[in-house]
Amino acid sequence: MATPYSSRRFDRRSVLKGAAGLGALGVASPFVIAARADTPIRIGMIDPLTGVYAAVAQNEVIGAKLAVDQINAAGGVLGRPLELLVEDSANDVGTGVQKARKLIDRDQVSFLIGDVNSGVAQAIAQVSNEKKILHIVSGGHTDSITGPDCKWNVYRVCNTTTMEANSVCSLLFKQYGKKWHFITPDYAFGHTLQKAAAVDLAKLGGTVTGNELTPLGTTDFSAYLIKAQAASPDVIVVLPQGSDMVNCLKQIVQFGLNQQIHVAGLQQELESLEAMPPEARIGIWMFEWYWKQPGIPGVDKFVADIRKVNNGKVPTARNWFGYASVHTLAGVANQQKTIDSVALAKALGNFELPPEIKLQPNKCYYRPGDHQLMTSAFVGEAQSGGAGDPEDLFRVDHVIAGDETAPPEDATGCKIQWPA
Amino acid sequence: MTQLLLFNVTNGLIIGAFYALMALGLSLILNLSNVINFAHGGFLVIGGYLAYTITPYVGFWGALLIAPVLTAVIGLAVEGVLIRPLYGRDPLYSLLMTFGLAFIIEDGTRFIWGAQGKPVTIPPFLARPLSHELFFITGYRIFMVVTVTIAVALIFALLRYTRLGIRIRAATLDLEMVAAMGVNVRILRSLNFAAGIYLAGLAGALAAGQLGLEPTMGTGLLMPSFIAIIIGGVGSLTGTLIGGLLIGVASGVTAVFAPAASEAVMYVLMAFILLARPRGLLGEEGMMT
Repeated sequence: MATPYSSRRFDRRSVLKGAAGLGALGVASPFVIAARADTPIRIGMIDPLTGVYAAVAQNEVIGAKLAVDQINAAGGVLGRPLELLVEDSANDVGTGVQKARKLIDRDQVSFLIGDVNSGVAQAIAQVSNEKKILHIVSGGHTDSITGPDCKWNVYRVCNTTTMEANSVCSLLFKQYGKKWHFITPDYAFGHTLQKAAAVDLAKLGGTVTGNELTPLGTTDFSAYLIKAQAASPDVIVVLPQGSDMVNCLKQIVQFGLNQQIHVAGLQQELESLEAMPPEARIGIWMFEWYWKQPGIPGVDKFVADIRKVNNGKVPTARNWFGYASVHTLAGVANQQKTIDSVALAKALGNFELPPEIKLQPNKCYYRPGDHQLMTSAFVGEAQSGGAGDPEDLFRVDHVIAGDETAPPEDATGCKIQWPA
Repeated sequence: MTQLLLFNVTNGLIIGAFYALMALGLSLILNLSNVINFAHGGFLVIGGYLAYTITPYVGFWGALLIAPVLTAVIGLAVEGVLIRPLYGRDPLYSLLMTFGLAFIIEDGTRFIWGAQGKPVTIPPFLARPLSHELFFITGYRIFMVVTVTIAVALIFALLRYTRLGIRIRAATLDLEMVAAMGVNVRILRSLNFAAGIYLAGLAGALAAGQLGLEPTMGTGLLMPSFIAIIIGGVGSLTGTLIGGLLIGVASGVTAVFAPAASEAVMYVLMAFILLARPRGLLGEEGMMT
């Protein structure tokens, strides 16, 4: 019969079990701790990797991947590695929304980045807001994302359409004339960009001779150009992007319209200029970031790093958007020592990008009132061929700070509702 | 306004000629093989990129001659491996196959040549407009129309005056009877498919000079071609030609009054013609049923 003492005694089996257990703990513990440290923090990235914006979208992904590699090499975020999960929105709102839900629900991403297409970006923002996930819109420009439709969890890296218009309109007016005819892509981005430019033009005392709305994916612009020429404007303002812009400018030059009327636009990108024949690289534009910035800290290294991962090609603004988006998330998470979306969204207000990330001369920070990054506009003229480098296709004349091109926070229409 | 309208009608005819070239290739394949080739735009892209790739070696004119032939050879291989096994089945199978193939070609193009568009330079004397006023009629556009006209004339001559063409026409009407008379229908279908793809390749090589190159360029040009076939009437190559020109003009004229509707007008026109004459303008009753 067992005495009360006997029940407390360690028998041989218990000792063996205990020893085995301790041994197992000794072996297993490092794995448990290591597993916790190695569990990656996932960032979901949604961009139109196929379709008319494929080239710019893929460049955003290349920039984001470079940032992830750099951050992981430097110890990750809160001691954990970053993992980038990339999905294709195919330029389609439904697909974008479906991919956002998949990334959040199934892949358990902590943060979201995307999309190039403004309409898709807005739709994804609805999902990220519903799921309370911090979301950075890397390349969708339409005003309302950081305007009337702004959300506590959504920040934006690229310029707004109003910032783009404000950066270049007065120069266009001064140098090219006061009667403008717009060729506008018929969706959210184009509409707000044209509206912003028309407002600026009206303030300057100019007139709009017409606005041709062209469907996304238009290949032949001749009918619109015939109409534009008939209206006798001083300037044809080309607003389509990607392959649409390439086709439009190419046809303008083939028709010799640039000999009769000035041709210019607001947003221009290196991807588009490279896809054009040299003679079509004309006019005044704004770049959102440009790779040739002598004397600006970190730019040369960024150019060299991107060249290494992108077949020797120089970085474009899209590379920088992806790069800055990931570094923003990692930087603020490391600073706040959390990955909680609400805490990080609050901390991002007034968060300033360090020199090695901002890669531009002016101060670059997120405004707390509308969650818009105050990033510079690089205004200048397209050039047919680079003097020193074949990819130097733009001459930057002015670098204007975001604070000078953005309307005041209270004029954007943004009223942020924080979760209870 | 009258001048603007006339300009747009002329411009529409130029664009329509290009649609017609695409649509004729589609129509050839559809009429004989009953294959709705959704990958036709993909073959156009292949033709354009091949022309771009071989231009440094053979020049612009050499590329224009060789690229469509190379595209037709690829088409021949695709027909032999992927399409032929589906001839005996419901047309839906080949439709789904070519639908998938279109995506594969688009992504394959992106993989090989990159997502970024490629500029294609045309000979300088073709790049100039006809005159200051008729600025939209450039040398290259005239060249395109002339090329399309020659290609269409050759196709019609081939179908009318050659043994191969007569057999294709006969097989379009009654395939079983032609087979029963000892004609090798397998080879006939392959050659016919290759001829259709040759036209797609030619359209691609021509479009590269006009538009530049981009992996998705075929998608935008494919739908107008289908509409041209439906408007013209399935089974009629002449109808397809008229359909192509008609939607080009309709689109051009609409651009004067409501630019945003210039694409939608093709579909509206198709709907009206289907309501008034379901077989299309020159289509035969009962085709494709």
